[in-house]
Amino acid sequence: MAEPIGPISRLTKELTKLPGIGPKSADRLAHFLLAGDRSVATQLAEALYHAVSSVRACRKCGNYSEGELCPICLDPKRDPSLICVVETPRDIDAIERVGFFKGRYHVLGGRLAPLEGIGPDKLSYSSLVDRVHQEQIKEIILATSPTLEGDTTALFAANLLKGAGVTLSRLARGVPTGSSLELANTQMLLDALEGRQKFT
Amino acid sequence: MSLEKATGLIIRTTDWSESSRIATFFTKEFGKIRVLAKGGRRIKSNFEVALDLLSVCSIVWLRKPQGGLEILTEARSEERFNGLRSNLPNLYAAYYLAELVNEGLQDYDPHEQLYTHTLEGLRLLNAGGDPIGVICWYEMLWLTELGYRPRLNECGSCGQAILRASGLNYSAGAGGVICPSCAPSIKDKRPLSAEGWRALVELEKGHVSLTYAQRHELKSVLEQTVCVVLGKRPRLADYIVA
Ligand SMILES: [Zn+2]
Ligand SMILES: [Zn+2]
Repeated sequence: MAEPIGPISRLTKELTKLPGIGPKSADRLAHFLLAGDRSVATQLAEALYHAVSSVRACRKCGNYSEGELCPICLDPKRDPSLICVVETPRDIDAIERVGFFKGRYHVLGGRLAPLEGIGPDKLSYSSLVDRVHQEQIKEIILATSPTLEGDTTALFAANLLKGAGVTLSRLARGVPTGSSLELANTQMLLDALEGRQKFT
Repeated sequence: MSLEKATGLIIRTTDWSESSRIATFFTKEFGKIRVLAKGGRRIKSNFEVALDLLSVCSIVWLRKPQGGLEILTEARSEERFNGLRSNLPNLYAAYYLAELVNEGLQDYDPHEQLYTHTLEGLRLLNAGGDPIGVICWYEMLWLTELGYRPRLNECGSCGQAILRASGLNYSAGAGGVICPSCAPSIKDKRPLSAEGWRALVELEKGHVSLTYAQRHELKSVLEQTVCVVLGKRPRLADYIVA
């Protein structure tokens, strides 16, 4: 069997590094990009190059940004006393889509996973502590993933910020709104029971 | 291919794709197994539980005789250790137990007694028990189960019975206590106090409450032995402070 020519095999090799792309999909994508109208490919290449060269981490919160500070940190209408701590910039997008949160963010850059060799030194805890000391922060919402590693990540932050004079909270978890109790799985019901709220 | 059933503790999870996850279970019946949970990361997955670390589930999976990735078909939550989620030292200790199981055991090599002890250790940690006490107790059981129980009543080098607790050394390489006459020829030896020796002997019989000095000594003696057995230092060792 003849191997594809150099540039094509390089392209497929790079494509397989993307999440969810196996050798077959990579091969299909490479052929799509090279067949017929090549403007799709050149525009993609330009967009990729532009994004990679112009997007950096916001100096304050770690969100993706074109300038030194991201639009959220620059927005005077956002409450500077309220910080939502997330694992990745992707989590910010998810929370922003809801449009409910009016504070600012802090991106940790991942989650604490001791079994995988990801320790606190790999995450931006120290800049979070610095912010608490430098900015007028009153409340911190720990919006890490609802997994044991996510809880470990939040617990570490909570221990670190103990005595810093800020209110700490965690996202609630449980039965999704609009579904029914009989459709919820055991875990959701347990979470909902454990995190039950007082009628006010 | 056959369907197998077991109860097991999740000791490692790896994301496989946007929606799927590979979970390593320490099962009571089969020892360590690795299964692919298709859709296991979705909120509405086929599984009755979120396949999260350190939770105990009853599971059904498709076992492949030729090796290859095995597929989880059912999972139901049996026990969770939610007390760990608010106690960092105990949570680290629980991760450490999971790491020892994952690193120490081969796939499909059952260790029912170690399984029972692992859950017992997690319950103690979950209830706020002393993490160093639980770790030392568990390390002794783990070493014993893997066939590396430290020799405490006879010299690890010459085999002479240890009759006096004074002047003793310990060598992880030799696998136990070293008598005064062998000590000069053992390279990795470290002094072992009479108190420390007695505590190790007691630890073989079950839980002990450790004094401050014993905690330090036993933790480092046992951790050193674990490192020799594994041929490396466990990742969680850096997180555990005596
Ligand atoms: Zn920012
Ligand atoms: Zn000897």
